[in-house]
Amino acid sequence: MELWKQGAEAKIHKTDFYGKPCIVKERFSKSYRHPILDKSLTAQRVKSEIRAMLRCRMSGILTPTVYFVNMDSSCIYMEEMLDSVTVRDYIQSVQSSKTAVEAIETLTPLANTIGHTLGIMHKQNIVHGDLTTSNMLLQGDPSNNRLCLIDFGLSFFENLSEDKGVDLYVLERALISTHPNTEKLFNVILEAYCKSNDTGSKDVIAKLEEVRMRGRKRTMVG
Amino acid sequence: MAAKVIQCGPYPECNMTLMLFSNVLNAAEVRKCVMGGEFEAALLKTSMILEPFQVIVAANRAIHLHRIKKMMTKNVHSEVLFSLSPSKNISDSFRKFGLADNETSMFVVIVNDTDGSTCQAVIDRVKGQLTDITDVGKYSDLPTIQKVYKISETELSVCSAVDAVVSRISSKDIVTV
Ligand SMILES: Nc1ncnc2c1ncn2[C@@H]1O[C@H](COP(=O)(O)OP(=O)(O)OP(=O)(O)O)[C@@H](O)[C@H]1O
Ligand SMILES: [Mg+2]
Repeated sequence: MELWKQGAEAKIHKTDFYGKPCIVKERFSKSYRHPILDKSLTAQRVKSEIRAMLRCRMSGILTPTVYFVNMDSSCIYMEEMLDSVTVRDYIQSVQSSKTAVEAIETLTPLANTIGHTLGIMHKQNIVHGDLTTSNMLLQGDPSNNRLCLIDFGLSFFENLSEDKGVDLYVLERALISTHPNTEKLFNVILEAYCKSNDTGSKDVIAKLEEVRMRGRKRTMVG
Repeated sequence: MAAKVIQCGPYPECNMTLMLFSNVLNAAEVRKCVMGGEFEAALLKTSMILEPFQVIVAANRAIHLHRIKKMMTKNVHSEVLFSLSPSKNISDSFRKFGLADNETSMFVVIVNDTDGSTCQAVIDRVKGQLTDITDVGKYSDLPTIQKVYKISETELSVCSAVDAVVSRISSKDIVTV
């Protein structure tokens, strides 16, 4: 197996699974954690990831197909999303090749798709837990907005507006800190989110506002 | 036409032999051979299989659970059958995915048939035609498969039926659908 990427929690390998291009996500142990706690936390992450991937896809959200799970080695073997880029790389390439106004215009349909998708996800009470632009892939021509969600290790199943609000807040911070001048895009995401998470979005947005306030207070004190 | 021997990805020292038979006249007799211990094999109902890859994913899971000694059933062949099913109920899984006496086609899986003797014993016993495994799609009963695996049209808007089935097989002990 060829090591492809190394994150903070997992190694990503590329391999072939009976003829299918495959990514192996291997969670490794953290030496600073107590071994027993570490083992159960790692197992928890693997299970959460598998559960959310399947539930999302059952609600019509594209996620990689899981081929094999080895709980002993904390490895998930999944479909490699061929011909894909992370939303992070895509936004960066659009921003670096266009004027600010053109870039926002180009990225607006994508923001719409992201909001729509997250609305569906929250409506199913799936909280992602780590919404960043590296945890979203675009497959094929990016202008087709074929959005694939990945990296569900911190996800959980919960019907609380607070958790959903925090999920969106994490995305807002990640988006704006990684990609300057994307406040407008986040508004587009929220608008689309409210349409697809029709019944629950009002409370979630209220919680988002609350969390934003808390975030600001914390920065003012600190 | 020959049986297909595939090396197990995660355990290269293991392999699986896959065979498809059509125009089978003696399914009941072959089943008796397995139940009586004449040879060890998994005999699968072809109507529940979309593609060989579905069986490969189930066999891969069974080999893994066999190796780490965490099988739910008595041997690796019954575990292949159980792995195919989204249900945690063993007898229900066997009924839905196992070969029935009156069937005229069958899909056979043999794990670690090192000298090929089991494969030969099956071929000698089956009154039917050894057929290319990729032809199994001709026998699939998609509506029943969709029902048993609980696959909705919403899900099929983002993935193929095989992807939907395979995800459930691999996630079986973690997610109940
Ligand atoms: N199924 C997949 N198909 C294609 N690329 C993938 C797939 N899974 C992961 N990747 C790539 O590997 C990267 C890391 O994967 P993932 O986010 O699941 O792991 P991670 O440990 O959280 O990494 P990080 O710490 O960088 O977030 C992704 O950003 C993506 O570029
Ligand atoms: Mg990630």
